Amino acid sequence: MRITKDMKMADVIQMNYMLIPVIYRFGINLGFGDKSVKEICEETDVDLNFFLQLVNTYHDKDYFPKEELQTIPSKDIVAYLKMTHSSYLNEKLTEIEGLIESLQHAEAEDEKYILLIRNFFEGYKNELTEHILHEEDVVFPYVLAVEEICTSGIVSDLNRKIFESFSISIYQEGHDDVEEKLMDLKTIMIKYLTPPRNTNLYHKIIQLLFMLEQDLNYHSRIEDKVLVPKMISMEKAVTELI
Amino acid sequence: MNNITIVVAETSYLIQKGLCAVLKSLGDNHVIHKMDKAEGLFESLNTLKPNMLILNPDLFDGNYELIKNGCAKLKACKLVIISNKNKDEGKFDEDAFLHYEDRQSKILDCLEGVKKDLERNKKVEKSDEPISAREKNILKHIALGLTNKEIADQLFISIHTVVTHRKNITQKLGIKSVSGLTVYAILNNLITMDEVK
Repeated sequence: MRITKDMKMADVIQMNYMLIPVIYRFGINLGFGDKSVKEICEETDVDLNFFLQLVNTYHDKDYFPKEELQTIPSKDIVAYLKMTHSSYLNEKLTEIEGLIESLQHAEAEDEKYILLIRNFFEGYKNELTEHILHEEDVVFPYVLAVEEICTSGIVSDLNRKIFESFSISIYQEGHDDVEEKLMDLKTIMIKYLTPPRNTNLYHKIIQLLFMLEQDLNYHSRIEDKVLVPKMISMEKAVTELI
Repeated sequence: MNNITIVVAETSYLIQKGLCAVLKSLGDNHVIHKMDKAEGLFESLNTLKPNMLILNPDLFDGNYELIKNGCAKLKACKLVIISNKNKDEGKFDEDAFLHYEDRQSKILDCLEGVKKDLERNKKVEKSDEPISAREKNILKHIALGLTNKEIADQLFISIHTVVTHRKNITQKLGIKSVSGLTVYAILNNLITMDEVK
């Protein structure tokens, strides 16, 4: 079912609890009472159109209104992507890491194997962090600079420098194998490792890994299918301008 | 699970959705891309490398030559033509033909048939056997952090052979990254933890 502006926000969450972290990234917190989606968005100063498109994209994996999403200003998309980045770095990764650590403490016998998992996860975490920092330091400033040139029609010295230093095609190339390690970790835990005695904790970790993977997929879908095509057409416009 | 990748190219939104629903119920496949216009179709096929393309020739306004040429380049990809015109059947060297008005059983049989063909091909290249002794040895070297060139030199085989082994190992185990393979090697006592550091 499509989520619309007149629905109660509480009903939206009842329908799909996975949206709790998504709306939180927009700065919307629980305790909405009977307010509608539209009212909440107005209160929190969130662009209603962007909110609806994005929430529906998460809610129904077949729903992906590319054209509608393309009309949203890059700065809003970037702001949202940044929020998801910080939720990965500050919450999700740390949470899983913490659970693996407690698993390690709980298991004296299997400790060696848990250490393997822990090291592996650390490796993944570093890779993802590096990837995210690259986006925040290089890609996003570039996106914002290109958009500024396009909307204002003026090429400032700083923006020209940024424009000439990077291109979205470079970004496209390196943007696929971050998830490889995450998938491997799941495979190893499901297929090859004898589960430790604390199965409860072990299962929770696997479930969190699945959720992280799903979230990352949605995240990169927006980067690859919305932001990149948008940038390609903007790059053309800027090249003509210069 | 989701072994077969499919691209659906059809102008009508309803037909596209319907087709996807049918494929979903068939199982073991995954629609990786949907298109409703001809632009960029063959380009995207080159990168997506699907196992099956379901195409409506109307996308190209019935330009047979263009479709034939484009499809001829798809090596491992099965071509299914979907159309509301009987005259389209057999014109594209397609592997199967679906008509808008076909009955449920015919559509399912047809897609099932293409799927079986694909699975037969796949079995040859990807078996569920455990990894061989030779592959274990290669895996050990990978886990120790050696490059393809170093492994080739040590075992007196060509780099090409190493790459082929690597591909088979990854396929059999379902693990792609070097660090993942290393964990597997340790778990199976091919190397010890101390050797890695």
